Amino acid sequence: MTDLPTTKGLLNRRVSFAYRVVQFCLLLSLLWKWEFFRGSMEIYDGISVQDDFFPELLRSNTVLFGSFACVIASTILAILVSRSFVRHLMCAFSLIGLTVLCLHQGSYNDATFTTAWWTSVWSWWFVNRMHRDAPDVLLTKAAFLSRCIISMILLGGAAGKWTSEYWSGEVLHDIYFVDRNFWTFNWLRERYDAESLREIATIYSRCVVVIETAFGLTLWAMPARIAAVAAIVLLTSIAVFSNFLLFSVLLSLIGLAAVGLFVVRT
Amino acid sequence: MPARFNEMNSIDRQVKNDFGFAAILLGVFAIVVWLLLMPVLPAIANTTMHRFHLCSSNFAVFAAQFPIPAMYNFANQTKVSDVPPGFIDPFFAGLDTEDSFRYINHFPARDATFSIGRYKNLRDGKDHWFTLRSNYRGQELETEFRLKAVAKWQYELQRMSAR
Repeated sequence: MTDLPTTKGLLNRRVSFAYRVVQFCLLLSLLWKWEFFRGSMEIYDGISVQDDFFPELLRSNTVLFGSFACVIASTILAILVSRSFVRHLMCAFSLIGLTVLCLHQGSYNDATFTTAWWTSVWSWWFVNRMHRDAPDVLLTKAAFLSRCIISMILLGGAAGKWTSEYWSGEVLHDIYFVDRNFWTFNWLRERYDAESLREIATIYSRCVVVIETAFGLTLWAMPARIAAVAAIVLLTSIAVFSNFLLFSVLLSLIGLAAVGLFVVRT
Repeated sequence: MPARFNEMNSIDRQVKNDFGFAAILLGVFAIVVWLLLMPVLPAIANTTMHRFHLCSSNFAVFAAQFPIPAMYNFANQTKVSDVPPGFIDPFFAGLDTEDSFRYINHFPARDATFSIGRYKNLRDGKDHWFTLRSNYRGQELETEFRLKAVAKWQYELQRMSAR
């Protein structure tokens, strides 16, 4: 009996640590984007595009920069401060900032903010349950929810590729194999002629379609720890083999996937 | 496997008292259904293509779709030209490699609005015509934009056609 409070204390720390890991990965994904974002802000300041499709607020460069800064600041505070009230507030700020980024003219197309938005939704739910659910139950639910979100995001990538242009490799050949300056494609271009590269692009593209589809359909149903490891390996390999900038899109999902590692063994 | 069933039972029991959990799961499920129906219901792919081309019927329809992940969706192509479409005889246009269509991963309109695309295509301060094309399982949407220079490095996006 005397061990119970200690065990509960350890589990609470585990919950808090899982939350911080997700926030840290979310922060890292945004910081990974920092240089690119700063350069983009300079471009937007220099060249403006008036398009009435977007409300005025969602064309403003100040709003764009303010939202990005707000998400970074609130994520830092969410990591550093343990008080429940502050965590609630920071998660709300983060969610609002990311919603703006997902809709703004200068960032609507950036998948970094879509994955960060889903991570932020998960975080908002998690802080709301931290003092309501038993720690082991919360971690089990949190891992399940994160698996469902990652599955859905992978399926989102897969469903749009179920078309002949991806199955033939035509799209990824043009985007990556023709002139993309990245180690994988530079290495392949040095060793293979144009005809062989086209064939490799077909195999590469089919692998992408099949793997994304398979993981999108099954990851949510896998046991927590196996799913966590599988998702972390898959998400990391996507960036390592196609584009390091993609870490800004994938790091927040890697943080979500890691929640599965904190599930208490039964 | 018994541990796996315990996990699912534990989740079942807790969901009843957790509205946020149920709401997020419902949202995820709705998006999964939307995605799985996309190959068989042309209206879904069509709605997404209009989202990609910034030509949804209004901003609310575009905004409602933002949680739906769409990385590397569809075969999207863009062509940027400094003369209006049809201005040059197709025979000579075919000789101009600078103006040929290139594939782009998603949201082809970003070639005019987003970061590097905006810099690359609009830095000369002149008028430009963008042709965006998205294909998915036999469906196609082609859109033409004119980026009109109204002042030095100030552009106005004019939608010319969508078909």
